Amino acid sequence: MNEEKSGSSFGGVDTLTDIDAALHELLDRPWTCIVWDDPVNLMSYVVFVFKKIFGFSQERAHELMLLVHNEGRAVVASGSREEMERYVQRLHEHGLWATLQRDDKI
Amino acid sequence: MSNFERTGDLFSLDLTIDEAHILINLVEQLLELLGEGDFFHHYDADDPFAALMSMQQEVVTPDDPVLMRLLPNAYADPEAASDFRRFTESTIRSHKQRILREVRTHLAILVDDEKSGTVPDLDADTWLVALNDLRLALSVRLEIDEESFELFESLPDEDPQKSIYAVYYWLGWLQENLLHLL
Repeated sequence: MNEEKSGSSFGGVDTLTDIDAALHELLDRPWTCIVWDDPVNLMSYVVFVFKKIFGFSQERAHELMLLVHNEGRAVVASGSREEMERYVQRLHEHGLWATLQRDDKI
Repeated sequence: MSNFERTGDLFSLDLTIDEAHILINLVEQLLELLGEGDFFHHYDADDPFAALMSMQQEVVTPDDPVLMRLLPNAYADPEAASDFRRFTESTIRSHKQRILREVRTHLAILVDDEKSGTVPDLDADTWLVALNDLRLALSVRLEIDEESFELFESLPDEDPQKSIYAVYYWLGWLQENLLHLL
């Protein structure tokens, strides 16, 4: 059974499963919450806010903060539109510059 | 010298009376900018920070750049941004007002006594957010960018802008100080 699945050169189950997963992802988690870099918010404050709002570990929060800082923006969460709107609201309450948009990957 | 301190889970802040005045002035002006003017004001009409927050020159509108920074658009699409604003802006505004009111109440104890002293039993999260909003508001007026600190250091002491930059960087120092204690 294992061989059948992974060995098929016609794509077979694996590919279908991938497409299914991708569609599921597209339908189920189509929105992203983005935080933008700004010259005011302290790095340590951004880490504090990420931990507080998203429940990230220190390491994860720090990693995302650096991504925002170095890339100018970073996706910090993805999910339903309602969920992302709630995150954006809380980020604005904390003074971070956040937006949401439909995930255009896939 | 102002300083946050932590004892167990309790936080406090030592302030000189001058520092307490500067903070309460900024807090009250930001509260007013956020649409809440119904309280006794500790700041004078000729306070340099009043002009900075441009409270006297113009009627507050959502177009104010400070408000746009504190209450930014959630969507690039104007229609979606406007819908989001309609449903959430008053909640975010109230949240910010509540935080600033709490900080103002703490500061008023020192300011009304005209004494340097300690703000006891403060909520660290509340103060972090309040200090951040004050810094954001000042940053818009000062047009803060990556080069601003060098500009600040190069300004002669007699330049009136220098003291405003000094307050902005002092707020950042205070915020960092509190973050280190968490």
